[in-house]
Amino acid sequence: MFYVRYLRSELLRRRARTILTLAGLAVGVALVIAISGVSRGLDRAQKTALDPLSTIGTDLTVTLSPQQNTGGFGPGGGGGGRELLDANQSAVTDLSKLGKAGDHFVHDFFLPGTQLTFPQKQAKQISALSGVASVTTGLVLSAVHQEGVVPKIVAKIRTGGDTINIRRRIKPPTTAEFEAMQKCFEKAGVGGGQQTGGQRVQPGGFGAAGGGPDSAAARKCLPARLRKFQATITTPEQTLQQLINPPQTNIKSSSYTIAGVDPSQPAIGLVTPSQVTNGHYLSSGTEALLAASYAKRHSLKVGSELDLNGTTFTVVGLVKPPLGGQSADVYIPLRQLQKLADEKGLANVVLVRATSSADVSKVQKEIEQTLGSGAQVASAKQVADSINGSLVDAANLSHDLGLVLALVAAAAAFLLAVLLTLSSVGKRVREIGTLKALGWSQRLVVRQIVAECLATAVVGGLVGVGLGIAAAGLVGVLGPNLSASTTTGGGDALFGLGQALSRTATTSVSLDAPLTVSLLALGFGLALAGGLLAGTAGALRAARLRPADALRQVE
Amino acid sequence: MDTPLYDLQHVTRTFRRGDATITALESVDLTIAPGEIVAVEGPSGSGKTTLLQLLGALDRPSGGHVFFEGRDLNALGDHELADLRLRAFGFVFQTFNLIPTLTALQNVEAKLAPTGANAAELRERALTLLGEVGLADRAEHLPSQLSGGEQQRVAIARALSTGPRVVLADEPTGNLDSTTGAEIVELLTALSEEHRQTVVLVTHDHDVAARAERVLRMQDGRLLAPAAVA
Repeated sequence: MFYVRYLRSELLRRRARTILTLAGLAVGVALVIAISGVSRGLDRAQKTALDPLSTIGTDLTVTLSPQQNTGGFGPGGGGGGRELLDANQSAVTDLSKLGKAGDHFVHDFFLPGTQLTFPQKQAKQISALSGVASVTTGLVLSAVHQEGVVPKIVAKIRTGGDTINIRRRIKPPTTAEFEAMQKCFEKAGVGGGQQTGGQRVQPGGFGAAGGGPDSAAARKCLPARLRKFQATITTPEQTLQQLINPPQTNIKSSSYTIAGVDPSQPAIGLVTPSQVTNGHYLSSGTEALLAASYAKRHSLKVGSELDLNGTTFTVVGLVKPPLGGQSADVYIPLRQLQKLADEKGLANVVLVRATSSADVSKVQKEIEQTLGSGAQVASAKQVADSINGSLVDAANLSHDLGLVLALVAAAAAFLLAVLLTLSSVGKRVREIGTLKALGWSQRLVVRQIVAECLATAVVGGLVGVGLGIAAAGLVGVLGPNLSASTTTGGGDALFGLGQALSRTATTSVSLDAPLTVSLLALGFGLALAGGLLAGTAGALRAARLRPADALRQVE
Repeated sequence: MDTPLYDLQHVTRTFRRGDATITALESVDLTIAPGEIVAVEGPSGSGKTTLLQLLGALDRPSGGHVFFEGRDLNALGDHELADLRLRAFGFVFQTFNLIPTLTALQNVEAKLAPTGANAAELRERALTLLGEVGLADRAEHLPSQLSGGEQQRVAIARALSTGPRVVLADEPTGNLDSTTGAEIVELLTALSEEHRQTVVLVTHDHDVAARAERVLRMQDGRLLAPAAVA
């Protein structure tokens, strides 16, 4: 058909103008798509990261902070803060739990953190309140994974080897003693004292006295004083002091958070099936879910095995847990965690869903009244407010500027389409005059020009959609990582423990620009509408001119 | 005598340029018989082109009436005028006015297309006409690849393609050298005689005007010579 060939020739042979128009349209469309995509990406990131509770079917979380509890919600361990402090410290320092010195050990310590535990049964108080749709409990613990060799502590103390010298003069026997000795010798028949033997016993020479069989008898004749030496020696008092160096050990310690969830209540919980990005949700038994970021850091995946103090858990799914007070790296069934952490029947967080969102603040008040000051009831908004980081800034920016930017881009794309088309048509007024002189009706001329503009808009729009997809992809690849973080437990610096045990949960969301068909259609439609409108307007304006006037136009 | 092809009665055409009103044609009375070859001569600005555009229904008079084949063009709507231009008139312009993105063949087809002929008919008819102007071998060339004389031949082929009753040529030799110009006028007159077409030729070239059966002289929007049938 002639008109189609004419259209093709017009577009192909005026390549520079066509390319300019196409490029303008394409860039406009791509901008609209990319900006709207980024805006949507931020919205989505915000929704998942900054509105953590709603994604886990929860309106309110209830925790117990370590302080005196006047309400009916008593800590399971009883005893309040001091108890908690002891629990945390003993777990950290008690090396005796590890095994015998020198043994290799792998052990996970589960620390209650700053949230008091309480019997699960007490959550029933909350479920009885009006306006509460459902309630579930969870146990979130700080865990320290330690691995290494149980240190030996050896103190080596060497004592003894002292030489004690005692010098003492012994008085020689007195005359009386000597006489008594003489008598004794005689009586015993030992030849002593007489001249006959030519032998004379000298006082002091008694050591060898006799030398013969009578030596025993001779010993008897010695005065008692010389028979036995008796003295009391008190050695000098000394204190042995040795610095015992810290035991050499290779214990490696890493911490993470672990949460127990009730697999029988998937709709509400610290993590729900909607956060599972890979694999499936917990059913029961020894299954575990890992936060995707934690799994990545530790090269774990679905199917990996996790050994926790002798119990092997199989990773059945990866989750993208919501940020907020109660997120964790590892999720296992509540019962299992209770067993591992020796917290049977205890929980430290209650998740509450109200029957309707309008009831949330009412329910929050009710819970606060029922449980007293020790209970902290956080609403979704409060949790969201505690989150900060670049994602929040970007999301706020997007919230403020996203719509404006998208509108500006859309208007720019539309205007660009209009202007480029108008200018393109404007340059052809004389050609339009010629066509009219040849006998083309106004309708034919307009149809031809509009068809050209439409064809340009379609191609430009398609290229723009392609560019937009590419730009959105590029944003996904090169886009900055936006992080959102929230700190729990550090709020009250009770006993200085707050800092040590506070958990900072950070979610890093790589900025992406999710595209939908409707978004692409919107960009494409804008180009189409712009081209059509401008084409029609320009063509009508030119075609309405009297041919004589059109012909007079200087090209 | 039959009804004249054209009958112009007190035709005036004025233009507004800012506050000033310029009179391009002032009370022109003129009749042209079928088959005549008429030259309109005069200095530039004398109203020749305006007269030609009124004859070709490219413009409407500010005053007076243009009757074509007995029909008052003032009474016809834009669509009917377009149809008249398509079937009754053929234009040849000084600047050729070929569509630059179309080949010689397609330029001829551009005039034929609105008649509703199918693609094969268009091509066959356009090729025949290009043959008549001696450009059969240039059919696939773009205007930019043709010489001025060749471009004007294409324009003539285009003007004649729908078999119009009148060929209106506005300075057809104005952009050509004298030899080529002479050839073009020769071609134009020869073909129109062959097809028994009326030709109105605007020119300021005496040699060109001399080939016409009748020469009209214009000055300041008025016809100088009495508009008598030769």
